[in-house]
Order: sequence, then structure tokens, then C-alpha cells
Amino acid sequence: MKLSLYTSAAIIALSSSSAFADGHLAFGSEGGDFSWDSYNAFAEATDLSGQSLTITGAWTGNEKEKVEKVMAYFNAATGADVTYSGSDSFEQDIVVSARSGSAPNLAAFPQPGLAADMASQGLLTPLADGTADWVANNFAAGQSWVDLGTYADKDGADQMYGFFYRVDVKSLVWYAPEAFDEGGYDIPETMEELKALTDQIVEDGGTPWCIGLGSGAATGWPATDWVEDMMLRTTSPEDYDAWVANEMKFDDPKVIAAIEEFGAFARNDAYVDGGAAAVASTDFRDSPAGLFAIPPKCYMHRQASFIPAFFPEGTEMGEDVDFFYFPAYADKDLGKPVLGAGALFAITNPSDAANAFIEFMKLPIAHELWMTQGGFLTAHAGVNLATYADDSSRAQGEILQNATTFRFDASDLMPGEIGAGAFWTGMVDYVTGADAADVAKGIQDRWDAIQ
Amino acid sequence: MDNIAGTKPALSWAVNISVVLLVVLWLIPTVGLLVSSFRDRDQISATGWWLSPFPVSQNYQAKAPADDAEINGGVNVITGNVFEDGKGKVARFGGKRAAPTEFKAGETAQLTKDRTLTVHSDGSYVYTSPAEITRDPSIYYAASSPPEFSLDNYRTIMASDNMDRAFINTLTVTIPATIIPILIAAFAAYALAWMDFKGRGFLIALVVGLLVVPLQLALVPLLTLHNKVGIGQSFLGIWMAHTGFGLPLAIYLLRNYMVGLPRDIIESAKVDGATDFQVFTKIVLPLSFPALASFAIFQFLWTWNDLLVAKVFLPSNSESWVMTVKIADDLLGSKGGDWGILAAAAFISIAVPLIVFFTMQRYLVRGLLAGSVK
Amino acid sequence: MSPLFQGMLTILIGVGGCVGYFLLSNLFIDKILFRPVALDEASVLKRRKIGLAAVVILLVVLATGVVFMLGDILPQSFVNILITPVASIVVLGQWLGGAWGVVLVALLMAALMIFSPWAWLPKRAVTLGENINRANIIRPWLFLFPALSALSLYLLYPVVGSFYRSLFNRSGDDFIGFGNYSTMFADTGFQTALLNNFLWVLVVPAGATFLGLLVAQLTDRLVWGNIAKSIIFMPMAISFVGASLIWKFVYANNPDIGLINAIRDSFGAAPLDPLQLPFWNNFFLMFILVWIQTGFAMVILSAALRGIPEETIEAAIIDGANPFQIFFKIKVPQIMGTIVVVWTTITILVLKVFDIVYTMTGGNFGTEILPSYMMSYMFRDDGRATAVAFVIMIIVLPVMIWNIRQARAEMK
Repeated sequence: MKLSLYTSAAIIALSSSSAFADGHLAFGSEGGDFSWDSYNAFAEATDLSGQSLTITGAWTGNEKEKVEKVMAYFNAATGADVTYSGSDSFEQDIVVSARSGSAPNLAAFPQPGLAADMASQGLLTPLADGTADWVANNFAAGQSWVDLGTYADKDGADQMYGFFYRVDVKSLVWYAPEAFDEGGYDIPETMEELKALTDQIVEDGGTPWCIGLGSGAATGWPATDWVEDMMLRTTSPEDYDAWVANEMKFDDPKVIAAIEEFGAFARNDAYVDGGAAAVASTDFRDSPAGLFAIPPKCYMHRQASFIPAFFPEGTEMGEDVDFFYFPAYADKDLGKPVLGAGALFAITNPSDAANAFIEFMKLPIAHELWMTQGGFLTAHAGVNLATYADDSSRAQGEILQNATTFRFDASDLMPGEIGAGAFWTGMVDYVTGADAADVAKGIQDRWDAIQ
Repeated sequence: MDNIAGTKPALSWAVNISVVLLVVLWLIPTVGLLVSSFRDRDQISATGWWLSPFPVSQNYQAKAPADDAEINGGVNVITGNVFEDGKGKVARFGGKRAAPTEFKAGETAQLTKDRTLTVHSDGSYVYTSPAEITRDPSIYYAASSPPEFSLDNYRTIMASDNMDRAFINTLTVTIPATIIPILIAAFAAYALAWMDFKGRGFLIALVVGLLVVPLQLALVPLLTLHNKVGIGQSFLGIWMAHTGFGLPLAIYLLRNYMVGLPRDIIESAKVDGATDFQVFTKIVLPLSFPALASFAIFQFLWTWNDLLVAKVFLPSNSESWVMTVKIADDLLGSKGGDWGILAAAAFISIAVPLIVFFTMQRYLVRGLLAGSVK
Repeated sequence: MSPLFQGMLTILIGVGGCVGYFLLSNLFIDKILFRPVALDEASVLKRRKIGLAAVVILLVVLATGVVFMLGDILPQSFVNILITPVASIVVLGQWLGGAWGVVLVALLMAALMIFSPWAWLPKRAVTLGENINRANIIRPWLFLFPALSALSLYLLYPVVGSFYRSLFNRSGDDFIGFGNYSTMFADTGFQTALLNNFLWVLVVPAGATFLGLLVAQLTDRLVWGNIAKSIIFMPMAISFVGASLIWKFVYANNPDIGLINAIRDSFGAAPLDPLQLPFWNNFFLMFILVWIQTGFAMVILSAALRGIPEETIEAAIIDGANPFQIFFKIKVPQIMGTIVVVWTTITILVLKVFDIVYTMTGGNFGTEILPSYMMSYMFRDDGRATAVAFVIMIIVLPVMIWNIRQARAEMK
């Protein structure tokens, strides 16, 4: 084992020809609204010159560029060589490399479910002592983030493994303000109004929704967000938690009802662009394009806060497109639930540099550096909100703060086999005509097989 | 000259026409991709590639700047041109997003609240409103743009970071992974074809059996082994993996070819006192050249186009990505909806196999022929 | 070190190593180990002693290796015994001193191994003929050694290891016999995948072979036949990832992108996603593979057609056979052997391809096939995944057995 460590270290050292060695810092090293003091103190106290740090994650393309700019600051502060590699099939890659002992130091998991799976197999290393307390005290709604990052280890003991970095708000509906103005439509405040608006648009000869579930091997996941949002809007948060933990079965009438609530939108040919058949085959990255078509192919698109990355070039937030909160039923008295998700860092191959990087993540500036580039929300309570790139990010931050209930994306918390497997394919089956009760039963059967 | 074609003119025509049909059927999908790779993103989603030589009619939106409003005869008027450079031709226009082509160019549209809009075919417009204009009013119009073909998609791909690196990586993986298994297999194939020993039948059966082993089975145990030995995820590892996976086909093909070589030559050489090693290097190897070449081409195409093995046995960082991984993981992820870019990327990745294939085709045919035709 | 340079070095070392190995080992056998001379009893006994000593040391080294390994590798699965020689070299070498230790131990083992055949010398004088015979008994194994070790390490070991794994539960702790197989066969998803897989195995080889034969015959004496053949062969050079993209421009739901829907659109029909048509969508996916493989079938069959002796056809023409009779009664029977070879080769390929389904539909809409079904379990429930792999093996078993019998028949 020792030999393999040496050689893999040597290979990494050879291959990571200093991606950030002379990395220039995208936002200078002083000024702006950034929290420099804690950063400078951290830089003073940490020296990792000559060490290397490998990080992998699911951020590719544009997001990869952004996170690399943040990592450049870690490199500048510590001297450690950081190499980030993003992959679209991160979920598979990380399991393969961790199983075979060639994992990078840190992995940015888009799915706590997968991280929990790996922790229980002993493939993750717990974070330094005291991290849990720190998160509880310094994150908004801190304890919930601690809970979300705490998993059972190989022996069944709970340990803190995950440090949340980037949060997404999912309960958002995107629309083109101009199209709304023209049609004389108002932003719906309740689910009843949203449904009325949907019918109104159909009556006016338009198509209200764009829904696309396509995502390569992960096809189906956007539907799981819909169902989760519907769960939060039709049953109590306690039921939601029970559902996530499978204490409430997947084929419980409440879950089936939520699936059918989603079906009321997605399986109605008049409601969705291209008809119900297009829902399953349209790529989720293509689906918002209908909002911007002239004439509009649809008026509303329910998707998480990351979606502007896939809007056509030159789209201006607030001008060409805006969002509103996916509303709750007025008559169900469930408050304003918000569905969210988030990426977390976990240590897959321990080293000093990996621990130092987690320390770096505690600094407000590590969050501000991405906030200022857009497409990033954080639960870190110490950040300077002025660094948010635009008003809409700030508005999403507000939704996050004002929520009466915040719940994490259920499919991310379920075991990978369900949340990143059976649930996805089940939703595709449902959208293409299968019966909700049958689909739910199929998913529950798969779940039973795991236990 | 006996043949179906050639004997009767009618039949000859039928043959020619059906071959043309088949060829067209086979070419169409690829042509679609090729044409699309030269088109602009907007044009791709506006019309199908089969309409690409024709002008594309698209709907656009322009804003009339409210600041330019003048009061003229008691109404607020904005005049201007929807085309920034003044060039273009408006076919139809409208004042509503939901009905962008309601009016013909030159007509005067009556909008809500007594507003009017006139757009002429040269793009100049007049917008009037009795009330003060506070927000920039939108003008929607349909104009046709000439077909555009450019190398922009290819430029974008080439400029994307590490594409050149991915190309070199692919070559680096492919060449050793092609040459090494051929050598190893050639010796083994000779032994199985022309040497007599106990267990030969069993070994041939084993090779034939291993031909069908699903590759997926081997991935996890082997990567674990590589890590234990200290190779880890590296080029050395992928060369060895491709060698192992390519061997059954190589041995099978080469043995079949070698068995077909004339027995007299080999036996007379042996009678003359040549050792097996000499027989192999001096007689069998040169005679087997077509089979060696055809396997080489096969293995080259297979390793070049491989996605699965590369994903497992190479580190997942952009420094060691090969082309297929780059396209599947990086480009498909970040440019998911951009068909033009994807098409161009696919073409770049299939260019080399196509060149290899068309230049080496002759050998491929000869080798395959002898390998499987008795 | 740039990977390109590393690659050149590997080619040099690999090619040089292979050639050197074969050259030197043959020389060694002929000049030292079993020199073609008669030997008296004394020198035979001396060699026998060296050989026995080599065997003993070899066994001791292996045994030490196994003991060392016990704590580290073995508890995972006893199948690792299969790779004991490799593993013990590695473990011992690492214990001695890292990578160089491994090289050293490997060299030592090799040196011992090459003298071990002496242990089987009889306790008496041997003649020249006996020595030559002995050399000839060993030589095939010299030729086979690199290939066999690579095959057993990279294919045989995983196959046996995986079968063993498929008898355990998802975490690999509990032996459950054929439990994975019985739950799997009860799973409707698996049944669909199995059924689809049978369809693939029947349709793709049949379609590709039939079309290949058709094209081969049609283009046989055509002036532009070679150009036509090249075009039809071209998809062979395209990766599955590329092919999937290409076919998206045919199957896409949007009539402005997908050709099929554009044609439907021009007849006024509503767009329809071909990949969502239950049952038929399988055939649309299969056609992609037929598109790729027809060229392969065509090339081989066209060569076979040309290999048919002219006399048989001329005789048929004189007897007044029409072209169709010539084709079906004279040509096809003569190349039947080749047709079967092409058929089986494509069958084998079909069972390995998962990329097309994976990229086009992700196994949704009832298009799952066994390899993609297996991928959805891999790394999550390895017991189930390896069980699926074995079902795939069982499906190809008839093909495999036929191939083996064919190979045997040829040898006689």
C-alpha cells in the first residue's frame, strides 16, 4: 500500500504541472467588498509550498472556470498546487477512483446521498474536530447544514464529513417579464393562482410551461425536483423527512398524490411546449430556450437557481428574464417551503493541504469570490452580501432567508440507487404514460432490495 | 463476365439505382452532422440542415429607445431603424411578442391604447403614442438572413482549453496500445496454429471463449490491481489494459490467418532444419502481413473511439483527457444545447480514424478476408 | 515527462522487450537449456539438482509472498489466489524496497523459472533426440507465455473473480448463493432488458449480415462499386459517441433538427419522438448499430464472393440459371461458412455495446439492454452487476460453443 501511495503521489506530481503556479488572481488582492482580513490572516498562518492538492467535482465548463478562480486564491495564500478536474459523470468516476485507491484529495459532491454512501463504505475521511460546531454557529440555519453533512461511518458512528459550499434554491419559476406584461399576467402568489394562470395562458392560445427532463445518463432528475416541491406543498415537512428516510413508503398515497400533482402539469399536452411526449426527450439545458423564442414557446419554467448558465448568450437578468417563488397553496397552511440543494466538499484522500482547504472554505472570501462571479448562493452567514453579482442573486438569497421551511432536495439525500437511479427512471416512465402508483411501487421495491 | 449486373440493361439499372439509394441512406446522417457543424447555432434551431442552402427566416426583437421620443403634432413619436447597420429586409412585423408577424411590412399596426407602429421593409419604423413613452417599446419583426456557413464552431472547439492536449493524449494512448498487442499476439497465434503440444485445443477454445467476455466486468478488479502494483491511473495502465482486452481478437484473427498458410512451405522449411523461431520470423510473419495490418487498423479504431476504458484507466483531469472523454464529459456538459459545437467536435474526433481508414482500407479488407474466409 | 515521449519510450521498450524476449528465450532453450547434444548421467544429475533447487526456491518465494499478502490483499476475496504469482512478487518486492524491489524479485523469479524445467530430467543419460524433444515441448509455451499471462490477468481473473463476487450480497460480506440471480429474474426491469437483448442479438447480426451481403453482391462488378463500398464502410470508423450525435440529427423530436420529424411534418403529421415509441424504439436504436456494422459484413462477404470459383458460376449460366438462382443456389451456399463467421462476430459485438443505448435514451422508454442495465448497478450493487454480466455470458454461450467447435473442426 505504501508503494502505491508513493507512486500515485509521484504521478500526480508529474501530471499536475502547476495549473495555478503563476495563477493570476482574478479579483486582485485587495479592495472591493471582499473580506480580506481573515484571508490575509489565513495566508500568514498557512504555508503549504511544494504540496499539491487534487480536487474533483461535477462543475464543468463555465462553472469550472469560476471555481478555479477561487482556488487560485488558495494557491496564492498557501503556495499549494491545486488541480481541479470536473467531469459530467463525476458520480461514477469518484466511486471508481475511491474504490481503487486513486481518489483525489477532495471531492465536491453535488449529492450528499452519494457522499453518505461513500462514508459508510469508509471511503471518506471525517473533517477536523470542531468543524461541526463552527458550521452550526456560522451558517444561517447552521444545525441543518451540520446534519446534512453528517453521515454514519463504516462502523455506524456519525461523523461530520461534508462542508457545504454552494447552495441552490430550487423553488423558482423563471419567466420573461415582457411576455407577462403583454399578456397582462400577474405574478402568482399562491398555487391556486399559478394553476389559474396556467389555464389562462392556454385560453389565450399560448403554452404555459417548458419542461425538459433530458440529461444524458441522468435523464429524469428535473422531475424529481418537481415532485419534491409538490411534496412540500401538499404535506408537512415531517412527512417529507419521513419520505426521505423511507419511513414513509414511496408508494404512500401522499407521495403518489405529489407525483400526480406534477403530472397535472407535465402530462397535459396543452400545458407543455411540444406536448407531454417532448418532456422526457427535451434536454434540460435546452428547455428554457422556449421562454426567449419569438413568439414565446412557453411562459414559465420551473428550475433551480443555476439555470441562467444555460440561457442564450446576452440574456439580461431582470430585463429579459426574471423569476418568482414557486408558490404554495393558500388553503393548505404549510407556510412558504423552499426546496434547495448544495454541493459539499468532502475529503477522499487525506492530506494537510486538504484540511487547509477546508479551513480556507470557512473564510467568507472563499464564498465571496464566487458570489461576485454570479450563479452562487451560500448559507455562510459571515459573507458580505454586497459581493453578490446581481440583484437576482440577492433576491434568491432572500428567498432562502425568508423560507418558513427549508428542505434539502430529497433525491440527493436518498441512497444513490434511488435518488440517482430508480427515482429518475421512474419519473421518465411516469411522464411517458406509466401509472403513478405503479411507478411509486417500483421505486419502493428497489428501495426494499437495498435494505 | 457472368453477373447480375451487366447481363441485362434493365437489371443493371435496377442495381445501380438500388446501390445509389443505399449509399444515400448511409450517407445522410453523417452529411447532416457535417453540414450542421458549419452552421450558426440560431440557424440550426431555426431550420433543418437540409434547408441550410436557403435563407433562414427568423423573428427578432428590437427596442425603440424611449429617449429618442419627440412630440410631433401632439403625439409622442419615435423613429429609427431596426437594423443597426441599416442593412436587411423586414418581411413582416408586429407589436406583440405573442404575434410577432401580424402585419406586413409597410402597414400601420394599431396597437393597444391608441399606439401605432409602422415598419417599412428597409427596417425604418415610426412608433407613435398619445401618452408619454416611459419604457422602450419592443418591435418584433421577421427578417430572412442569408445562409451562413463558417468555421466558427471549429474555431471555438480548437480554442477551448486542452483540445490540442486531448488530441495528443489520444495519439499517445492509441499507438502503443495498437503495436504491443500485435507483437504478443503474433507469437501466440503462431504457436496455436503451427506448433503441436498438449492443451492446444483447450487454449484455442479459451481464446475464443474470452472473445465474448463483457469488458465492464474487468474494470474494477483491474483498476484495484493497478493501484496495488503502483501503476495507478496512468498511461502505462491504459496501454496494458488495451493490450489485455485486444489480445483475444488479435490471437483469433491471426491464428485463423496463419492456419490458412500453405502447409508445404512451413513443413519443407522445417525439414530443411529451420527452427520454429526461424519459420515464424522468416516465413509466417511476412506472409501474415495483411492480417497484422487489419488487426492494427481494428485496434487503432477501437482504442481511438473508446470511451469506457479511457474513463476508468486514465486520471479524470483535463491534462489526461482523451478526445472522446473531452467531448462526452466536458463539451456535452457545458455546451449541451449547442448543436453546432457538438457537431464540430464530433467531426474533429472522427477525422483521424476516417483518414486512417481510407488510406489503409486495402489491408483491412485483405486481412479480414483471410482471417475469416476459408 | 511528456506523455508523447513516454509513449515513444513505451513503444520502444514494449517492442524491444517483446522481440528480445522471444529471441533470447529461444536462444536460451536451444543453446543452454536443452542443447541438441547427448548428455552423460553425471551432467544430467547436476542439471537436475539445479532444476530442483530452482523449483524449491520458486515455491518458497511464492509461499512467502502469499503469507505476506494474507494480511493485506487476501481477506477481500479468495479469488485473489488466482493472481498469487503477480501479487506475491509485488508484495515481496515492495517489502524489499519499493518499485526496484518489485523489479528485482520479478527478475529473480524469471531467472529461477527458466532453469526449473531441468527438475524434470530423468536420472540417467539423455540422448540428443530427447533433448530436442524436450526443447520442443517447452517452446510453444515460450511463444504463448506473454499472451497467456496478459489474458489470464486481464480477462480470466476478472471473469472468475466476478462470478465469485456474484454469489455475494451487495456489500460483499454475505454469501447468498444464487440469491442475486433469483431476485434479478424476478425484476421486471431485468426481464425487459433480457427481452430487448435477445431482440438485439437476433436483429442486429441478421440485419447487418443481410444488408452487407446485399451490398456486396450489388456492388460486385459495379464501376463505382469501390466508392460505394467505402461510403458504406465509413461508419465503422466512427465512435459510438460520434454515431449517437449523428443519429440525433435524424431522430430528434424537433422537426427543425430531426429528419424523421421533418418528413412527418411535411405530410402534416404531428412530431413524434421515435425513441419513445414503445417497442419500436428498440429497432431505431438497433438500426444505428446495423448502420455501423453493415460495412464490416459487406467487406468480408464481398471478398468471399470474389473467392468463389468462376467455373461453378459459368456452369450454372450455361445451364440457364437466372441471376437470382445463381445468387441463392450457387453463391450463397458456397460462402455459407463466411456468413456464419460474420454473423457470430457481430453477435459478440452486440453483447458488448452499451454506448448507443446509454447515450441515446439512457435506458429509458423500455430500451434497456443488459449491458446498460448492468451499468446502473455497477459500483452500487456489484453482486447484481456481476450476476448480469454472467447472464450475458450465458447468452453468448451458444455462440461461444459453436465457435469453439468450429475451431476444433478446423484443426482436424
